[in-house]
Amino acid sequence: MRGFNYRRILLCGGGMIAALAVVSSASAAETKGPVTDDIGVLVIPKGAPIQIGAYWVMSGADSALGIDEKRGVEIAVKDIGGKLVGHPIKLNVEDDGCNAEGGQTAATKLASNPATAIVIGPACSSAATPGAPILWKAGITDIDTAATAPALTAPERKPEYAGFVRTVYSDIDQGRNDAKYVHDVLKAQKIVTIHDGSPYAQQLATVMGENFKKLGGQVLSQEAVSPTDVDMHPVLTRVATEKPDVIYAPVFVAAGAQLLRQSKDIPGLEKVPLIGSSGQMAPDLIEAARAAIVGYKITYPDVSPEAMGKAYPKFVDEYKKAYGEAPISGYHANAYDGAQLAFKAIEKVAKTDASGATYIGRKALRDAVFATKFEGVSGPISCDQYGQCAQFKPAVYEFTNGDPKTFKIGENPKKIWP
Amino acid sequence: MSDAAVSRAFIPKLSSLSRFTFVDVVLWALRIGVVVVVVGGTIGTLIKARYGAAQWFDFLVFGVTIGSVYALVALGYTMVYGVLRLINFAHGDIMMTGAFSGYFVASSFAESGFLDTNPVLAMLGILAVAVTTSTLIAVLTERLAYRPFRRVRGLAPLICAIGVSFFLEQTFRGAFGSGVRAYPDPKWQKNTVDVFGFGVPLVEVLVVAAALVSMLVLYVIVQRTRMGTAMRAVSEDSDTAAMMGIDVNKVVVFTFALGGAMAGIAGVCYAFVFKQVYFFMGFTPGIKAFGAAVLGGIGSVPGAMIGGLFLGLVESVGPALFLDGIGIPAPYQLRDLIAFTLLIMVLIFRPYGIFGERMAKKRA
Repeated sequence: MRGFNYRRILLCGGGMIAALAVVSSASAAETKGPVTDDIGVLVIPKGAPIQIGAYWVMSGADSALGIDEKRGVEIAVKDIGGKLVGHPIKLNVEDDGCNAEGGQTAATKLASNPATAIVIGPACSSAATPGAPILWKAGITDIDTAATAPALTAPERKPEYAGFVRTVYSDIDQGRNDAKYVHDVLKAQKIVTIHDGSPYAQQLATVMGENFKKLGGQVLSQEAVSPTDVDMHPVLTRVATEKPDVIYAPVFVAAGAQLLRQSKDIPGLEKVPLIGSSGQMAPDLIEAARAAIVGYKITYPDVSPEAMGKAYPKFVDEYKKAYGEAPISGYHANAYDGAQLAFKAIEKVAKTDASGATYIGRKALRDAVFATKFEGVSGPISCDQYGQCAQFKPAVYEFTNGDPKTFKIGENPKKIWP
Repeated sequence: MSDAAVSRAFIPKLSSLSRFTFVDVVLWALRIGVVVVVVGGTIGTLIKARYGAAQWFDFLVFGVTIGSVYALVALGYTMVYGVLRLINFAHGDIMMTGAFSGYFVASSFAESGFLDTNPVLAMLGILAVAVTTSTLIAVLTERLAYRPFRRVRGLAPLICAIGVSFFLEQTFRGAFGSGVRAYPDPKWQKNTVDVFGFGVPLVEVLVVAAALVSMLVLYVIVQRTRMGTAMRAVSEDSDTAAMMGIDVNKVVVFTFALGGAMAGIAGVCYAFVFKQVYFFMGFTPGIKAFGAAVLGGIGSVPGAMIGGLFLGLVESVGPALFLDGIGIPAPYQLRDLIAFTLLIMVLIFRPYGIFGERMAKKRA
């Protein structure tokens, strides 16, 4: 009998929740204070902070990627004086671990905070793919700062991604460029691609392979490993039987370092260059690969000062002053611009009433983000209708030293192309 | 005719059929499916002839290498289970502590050049530190975490083991960071040794040799010493053993120490093959080694050895042999699937594992 009672309570509760859901979805527009909005209105009482959510990879082998972006956003907050539309800015940072489960947890946590105005991040497409729909369901716009998987801003993206924009390029362009580099500069005719099953690596490897075929090259096979795999011998042995000219493996730090170390031990692959990509620009890659890294090339967006916006040198100075080291990865400028985009859009739509409370319409904020155009430190920011706000400038970097302390973007690894 | 009469009339006819339940059908389908994949895949791969003898040999050697590491870790699972009926889920992390402490010694030896000039002494030093650390931590976990649960029935000890696993992982993460560190790569380890006319990297030969020697020593300890006899007695019946004057606590501590030492050796071997150490590195090999212990028959010492080697071989050779032939793209992504399918098959069709039955008879 006890069980039955519990069940009845559960049923009752479930019914009430369902009824509430019906009621809340039926009410279309919400009006609070001076603002009416289709999705909802965020009210920030006088003196309360304006809460900006953020999620990046903050731990593990890929943490340089996330920490670098967090610093970019922190500098942006400092640059506008720590205050926005009369409220102090509070940054709530979650760690997504650069995987789908972490992205889902982080986004759920941010979305469940009713005071979250907007979210910046993540760094990994694996986290953005489940994260963005959760946030948009709660009416929160997500400005991504380094997740580059093409599907996230593709014209055929699903409506649940409508609140997702990014101040970073799409891998459609990175893939096209990488194919061109491998085909025209390295003069490769036959390649093998290796991805790790993550949306980023899988989509980039596919786009690169398609473009490589268009250029007249041959993709012998598309291999896959898991991001945590340690034993690459079998897959590399298989690759060796296909005799490729180049192996293109846009995976992350841990698997990338394993491929790099182990490929040199496989008969037939000693002289075959392994090309990595943008997930691997980190001191941890040198730490994990050590001596094997010398001569390793990765394709990357051009982050040399000449290729960035005018304000970039000043931004890097600020970065060095605040954190006592040069940037540890390549997306700090995109993160800074993502934060700027958020601030500018909030300034556009926020309305303050006589009592000092601020009102922000969530739909209006999303539209303002899409409509805001400015010259960022990473280059011009201007979103298309699918949320793609930045362009890609290609480059190739080569590592020159196996000591992690020598890591400095521009020196080790140094830019060798174009 | 009433409903009851109808059903009574049908029962005799249906009874022979009803012995085949839906579950039986599924299980048979599973068996047939696996056999078809294995046989079909093997034939397909052999017809395609993508790999030469050198490559097959490479797969085999690598399978034996990783398998012997699994076997070393599996021994810890199986011995603790034998004595305490506890699945020590923290055992993979004890291996991690060994690998981690070995890393600090190894990297300082590499920096000073000692690892290149005195490879034998340096390797022994690294092993000694790793084994000491992991043994100490294994004994401490027993004393602080498991002993209070010794007489507790139910799932509490198991949950405690999972808690210990998290504790060790997060402690190492807090103390040494979450990044990946790499073991040094001394040149002499890359030299190849000639085995049946094929070149095998020295480090793999060393790992297999180290594993075999430690397993042999362990087997002698368990079978030939007083302590080993006491261990076997406690694993048969701890109450009776206590009545015969065996100090059960001492035996349990000894078992944990032995398992911890094996895990320390395994950690260093693993790290010298795969180079990377980080706080979570013990999880996957731990689960695989647990699978190996179950495969061999949990509680059985030779079972863990054979189970580990078998699992390593299947994992290494399986994707190429079974999956390549049926045209599955990127078969190596499915390596863990093969390992765990194997485990599930054992659990379904031979729950006592390969060596389990013989032991069950002995126990009876």
